[in-house]
This record gives sequence, structure tokens and C-alpha cells, in this order.
Amino acid sequence: MRNRSVLLLLSAAILAAAGLTLLYRGNGLFSPGSESPRRVTVIFKTVDYETTPFWGNVRDGVFSAGKDLGIDVSIRGPAQESDIQGQIDIVRDAVREKPDAIVLAAADYNLLVPLAREIRRSGIPLVSIDSFINSDDADVRIGTDSYEGGQKCAAALMRYAHSGDTVAVMSYVKGSSTAIDRESGARDYLAGKVKLLETLYCNADADLAYSQAARLISHTPSLRGIVALNDPTARGAGRALAESGKQGTIALIGFDNSFLVLKYVERGVIRDTVVQKPFNMGYLGITAAQELIRRKRVPRFINTGSVDISRGNMFLPENQKLLFPVAEGP
Amino acid sequence: MKIRRIQDTLIRAFSALIVFALLLLGFLAYYYLHKILIQNAEETTMQLVSQLNRVIENYISYMDDIALMAVNNEDVRGFIGNRGADSPGLRAKIEKSFEAIRTVRRDIDSVFVITRDGRAIAATQGGGLNPTVALRERFAELSAGVVPDRPSVSSAHVENLVESRYPWVISLVRAVRAEPSGASMGLIQVDLNYEIIARLCRNIQLGKSGYVFILNHAGDIVYHPRQQLIYGNLKTELIPEILSLNGGNLSAVVDGRAILYTAVSSRETGWEVVAVSYLDELFSASREAEYYFIMLSLLVFMGAIGVAFLISFNISKPIESLRRSMQAVESGNFDIDITVNARNEIFQLARDCDIAVKKVRDLIEQNRREQELKRKLELRSLQAQINPHFLYNTLDSIIWMIELGESDRAIDMTSSLAKFFRIGISRGSETISVRTEIEYVQTYLEIQKQRYKDKLSYEIIFAPELSDHQILKLLIQPLVENAIYHGIKNMEGPGLIRITGSLDDGAIVIRIRDNGVGMRAEQLDALRDGLIEPNHANGVGVRNVQERIHVYFGLDYGVSFESTPGAGTVATIRIPVIAGDVM
Repeated sequence: MRNRSVLLLLSAAILAAAGLTLLYRGNGLFSPGSESPRRVTVIFKTVDYETTPFWGNVRDGVFSAGKDLGIDVSIRGPAQESDIQGQIDIVRDAVREKPDAIVLAAADYNLLVPLAREIRRSGIPLVSIDSFINSDDADVRIGTDSYEGGQKCAAALMRYAHSGDTVAVMSYVKGSSTAIDRESGARDYLAGKVKLLETLYCNADADLAYSQAARLISHTPSLRGIVALNDPTARGAGRALAESGKQGTIALIGFDNSFLVLKYVERGVIRDTVVQKPFNMGYLGITAAQELIRRKRVPRFINTGSVDISRGNMFLPENQKLLFPVAEGP
Repeated sequence: MKIRRIQDTLIRAFSALIVFALLLLGFLAYYYLHKILIQNAEETTMQLVSQLNRVIENYISYMDDIALMAVNNEDVRGFIGNRGADSPGLRAKIEKSFEAIRTVRRDIDSVFVITRDGRAIAATQGGGLNPTVALRERFAELSAGVVPDRPSVSSAHVENLVESRYPWVISLVRAVRAEPSGASMGLIQVDLNYEIIARLCRNIQLGKSGYVFILNHAGDIVYHPRQQLIYGNLKTELIPEILSLNGGNLSAVVDGRAILYTAVSSRETGWEVVAVSYLDELFSASREAEYYFIMLSLLVFMGAIGVAFLISFNISKPIESLRRSMQAVESGNFDIDITVNARNEIFQLARDCDIAVKKVRDLIEQNRREQELKRKLELRSLQAQINPHFLYNTLDSIIWMIELGESDRAIDMTSSLAKFFRIGISRGSETISVRTEIEYVQTYLEIQKQRYKDKLSYEIIFAPELSDHQILKLLIQPLVENAIYHGIKNMEGPGLIRITGSLDDGAIVIRIRDNGVGMRAEQLDALRDGLIEPNHANGVGVRNVQERIHVYFGLDYGVSFESTPGAGTVATIRIPVIAGDVM
């Protein structure tokens, strides 16, 4: 056929046109929303941001990354950090909705394991942030190295306490991985240096922590130090210590940076507080989820780090930015 | 040589031309569009950023106005100078006037007076001073950064002078100096709500995700919309490069995206207001243009090919049909009409070809007819020309014999003559067998022998295998006649004619040899000429033989003569064996 070359050229041109249209439209030039965004479900230990501003800051990181990466993020969680069954139900519902990935801060180190296994079986990538689970089912863990955090608390305490002093460790939710690791970090550091009392658990309830600490302070006159391993615990213990007027003799080391904790630091009630980087956890959690969705390699563990804050360094420029996060605005 | 079709050539040329033109155009359009887009972006962004910078400077200068007002306020000076003893009335008066300012201007977060001796007044939201702040130390810290009679503007920071809040603010500090000594006795600090600056910057839209941030002279971030990302080391800006730019534009690739930094330095604040524009967003309009350009290009390309195809089709189709016609003519078919469906030179060409072919066809036909006629006429006339002399002489001899009363001989001769003519005339066919031809020659020689008596004798020796071959009839007799009349007749003594026939390399060779007077060279030449020239007087019979051979077998065959004067002449006939004609 003599027209073969003509047909060939014409069909090549038409093919090119079709390809280019696909390419350009595929990039969302004409209809930016054409590609449905990835859905990532994020489950916190609690969504009570008033009580635990820590999670509010994680949320900021999550939303910030969602905006940057064009991911549709939805954050859920129980009202109370101690409501493990509530979180289990939330996770179960989330799995049923089959999101593209799940980011989970496990309320309990062991009880969430079967669900994590279920998530893995459904082929949904799982990112574990802040508090981890007692299995390998999470594709990546992102958070503070809690053992290291616990050790930092203990090291801070030892700047004020002397060897042989009586020291108490106050933890929060008994089964939570961060609580377990912080506690063992602190206990391992303090073991042999001081007299360690039995660990108290307040279920991340500041009121319970307050009454526990008040009882501890009044019943143990020899007490020279308290390590409070999370924010509500530190607040409760701080309140008890301030009320007891013994902040001169008992060194309280806290965790995280809620307004009250920082006030106590300023007033010298809490001597030091170990501050994490919750914004980074949220942000990196979503970044990792996206990488997993895209089937890219992600490190098994990302340590977001922690900083020891005291009255002396809390207003240094670099610490101001960490302690008083600026909202990004609309 | 490789033959290329016009169509291919045209389409190739058109495609190449169009592709080249479109590529060039596309490249230029792309280049200039991008150049203009970048230029526009640089200009508009620079305008935006300059405007923002002016607004911020206005805020700062407004803060400075407030600070100056406080510095020159008698009450404030009185409070600062009033060492140790604080009058509650004065404090309340100052607080009241500061509050008035704060009520009017929501952008002012707080106004503070701090004295060298550690006293302070705070006009701020939510009340009092933070009791945990050591005011003497704070005075010392702030004084260290203050130049006399100049405002000092801080970077964004958390204000911890107020109780119950940790607001982000930008502070402007002025020193209040004691009259005689000039020593700084107190400080006025005005805090601008950081959110004001943030909102100003956020309000600036630079494409989909462009933004504005502010650096101070030391490269610390005053404002950044993604402050937490920057502090968390999740995002970086090219701060040293921007600072060294000192206002202007900078293109860079950050986090895998091409961006344009546009910076303006403020002399008032020492800040750099920096805009970040993403080039890919800037070019999204250009991408759309690109898409339409490419689509249009492809359309033009297709159109061009279509046009090339049509043009070439219109040219090459008639040529092709003309070519086919001419091919048919080449292979011998003149019997066609050459017509072409076209309205141009090719039509004329085809018409001319048609006329030419028709002319050639007519000529060929005419030629063929003429040739046929000529041949027929020739053969007929040639055969008709045979031996009138011989007949005349023979009849003369017969009359003689009858007059002399030699009736037996006359009878013999007459019957020989009859036989001679029977062979020569009766058969319609133009070829006869060699045997019959010999018989015919023999009859003729017998008749001539009657006339010449002992003066003529002959021998006929033919290869036996020749007898059944077909030859053209009446080839030998005219030559024998020639030998008798020109060789034997004029000689003295007995003459001998010797006729031999043989096969030589596919040809029949017949020689007629006489021992007569022979020919001189000029005579021989004349005879040879007579073979060629039709109207030559000599050798009518001989020429007849020669022409018939030529007509039948072509010029490769014919009669030739050799002669020696006084010794005789040899005539040689060479004709081909007629294939398949052996009986």
C-alpha cells in the first residue's frame, strides 16, 4: 500500500496527541482533583488536646504533612489516654474502612498487637508513632527513643539528688510502650545510685497523679526526688509538690511541655522536663505512610529525639521554638 | 539508481519542514514565555515583597512612635527616676495611658517599662508581670543590645515578662536616659503581636504554595509559615545565600523543587523579607500553553501531511497512469488510448504521448502493409522474369530442328522444355526439394546440351543427405544459365559445368563452377555490382537469385562469385537449412 507512510505518520501524530493529553491531564493540569488523594487514618492515644497539648502538636505535624503531600488525613482517638478498649474499637473501625495507610500511637504495648496483625494481613501499611507495640507488625516506628528519654530524666534528677537518696518514679499507663521504656530507662540509670521506690501508675490522669504524689510526699519524708514520666503525671506531681512547699528539697523531673509544666519549670517546682518533638512525629509519620504507600524503603525506626529543658535554658531561642510551637495558621 | 516516488519525497519534505518549523517556534515560544514569566514573577514578587516590607516598617515605626512617646513622657521619666520609692498613683497613671494605646492598637501586645533598679510596669493582656523574671537581669540583658537614642528591634521571641501567657512577639526597646549623665536608667519595651506579622505574610499569595518568610540580620527566622518544619529540621532555606544576596532574586533548587527567592532588605529593621515562588507553579500556565501548542502542532503536522498527500496524489496519480500506459506501449501494445485524469501539464503531456503513439502505430501498420505488398510483388515479378531468352532460344532451336527434319530431337527437346516449365511454374510453393531442383537443372542442361552439343558437358555432385532438404526453387538454374552464356558460350573447346552441393555448418552450400573464359577484375566487379544494383544491365537472373535469398533469409546469405580470366568462374550459393523442412 503506497499510503503506508502517510497512515504511519498520522497514527503516530494521533498517538502522540493522546499520550500528551494523558500526560498533561494525569498531572492534574486541568482537573487538579482528578487523582483522588490518599487516605491515611491517624489514631492517637487521645484527642483531648486540652489535657495533653502534646497530641495537639502531633496533630499540627500530621496536618502540616497532609497539606504538603496532598494526603487526606483523618485523626481519631479516644477521649482519654487510658481508654485502651476505646482505641482498640477505633482501630478496628479504621481497618474496616481500608485506608491507604494507618498511623497508630498504641495506647497499650500488648493489647494492640492482634489489631496490628490484622492491619498487616489486610495489606495496609502501618506506621507506629510515639508509642509502639510488642510485635514487628508495624512497618516503621517513629518517635522518641523512650528508653533514652527515661535516662535523660534520671540523669537530670541526679544533678540535684545525691547517691543514696530516696527517689520515686511515677509512670502513667502501665502497658504503654513509652511508659515501659521510659520507666526502664530511668530505673536502669538510677539503679544502684539511689533508693528507688515502687513505680506508681496514674493512668495519665493528672488528678490521680496529684493525689498519688501528695500521698507520696507526705508519707515519705526522706523523698528527695520524683521522676514523672509524662505530662499529666508531671502536672499532678508538680501541683502536689508546689502545695507541699517542698520544692526546695524534692527535685521533680517532668516530661513534655504543657503550659502548666512550663510554668512549674519557671517557678522551679519542676527542675527539668524532657521535651520530645511531637510535631516531627506527626509530620514524619505521614511522610513515612506516603513512602510506604509508594512502596519505597523506609527505615525501621526513626528517632525524633528529645531535649532536656530547665529554667535556665527554656528561653534560649532554639528552645522557645520547641516549647512554644507557633500555630501555622489557616 | 533508486527511484523515489514523488509522494514520498513530498511528504518527507513537508514533514521535515513542518517539524523543524514547529520545533523552532516551540522552542522560541517556550524560551520567551518562560523568560517573560520569570521576569514578571520577579517584578510582581519584588513589588509585593517591597510593599510588605513597607507595611512592616510602618508597624515598626509605629511601635517606635509609642516607645518614643513613652520615653518622653514625664510620668514615665518620673517613674524611672523615682529610685526605690514607687508611687502607686504614678504607676496607675502610666498603666492607664499604656492601656489606652493597647485598646486602640490591637497589634500592640504589651508595653513595658523596666528600670535599672528592677522595677517594672506592664500593660498587657491578662494582667501582671511574671514574678519569676528577674527584672534587674532583664534590664541588663536588654540594655546590652540597645544603642542610645535608637530603637532596637528584636527577632520574634516568646515574651515571658507577662504572667499566664507565653505570647510570640517582636519587641522594640528604647533606653530612657538620665538627664545630666546620659546613663540609661530605664527601658521602654513595646511588643508587637507576632501574629500581625504572620498574618501580613500569610496574606501574600504566591502561586499555589509559594510563601513569604522573614529573616533578621543574623539569619534567624523572624517569621516562617512552616516554622515548625524549619525548627524540626524537616525543611531548609538557603539562608546564607539569601543574606549575601542583600535584596534581589535568587534561583535555586530546594528539596527537589526549582524556586525563586525574592528578597528585600529593610534598613529600619535589618530584616530580609523573602518571597519563595515555585517555578513549576509559575509555569503551570505555560504548561497549559505548551499542551495546546503541542496539540496544535500535531494538528498542523497532520494537516501538512494531508496536504502533501493530496498534492502528491494529484501529481503522481496522472503520472503513474501515464507511466503504465507507456509501459504497455513499451511492451508492444500500441493499441491503447492514453488519457489522464488531470487538468495540468501532465494532461497535455499525456495528450502528446497519445498522439505520438497513435502516429507510431499508424506508421508501423503502413510499413507492414507496404513491406508485404512489396515482397509479394517482388516475388511475383522475379519469378516472372525467369529466362525469356532461354525460352526464346529453345523455341528457336526447336524450329531449327523441325526445319532440318530432326523431328525426334525436336520432340525430345520440346518434352524437356515442357518438363522444365512444369517444375518451374506448376508448383505454387516457393520451396522445393533439392532433388527436384537438381532434376530441374538437369532438364535445363539437357535442353542446352541439345543446342551446344559437345561444346557443353556437366557434372552434378550433391551430398546424398541433401536430397530431401527444402530449398528456394529456381536458385541454381539462373546461375547455370549465367555460366553457359558468359563462360562456356564464348570459349573455344569443350566446356564443363560442375555443380556441387554440400552441408557446411548448418548452411547449404551449392557451387556452380565452369571452365569458361572467366572474368576480368572489372567484369567481376560489374557482376558483383549487378548483384546489388537493381537496374544494372548485367545478370538479371543472377540478381533475381540474390534478391530472393535476401528476401527470404536476410543479408547473411546470398550468392558470391570468384573468377579467374581464362580459367573459369565459380558461383557459390549459401543458404540456411530450412528447419524442420526435411522430407
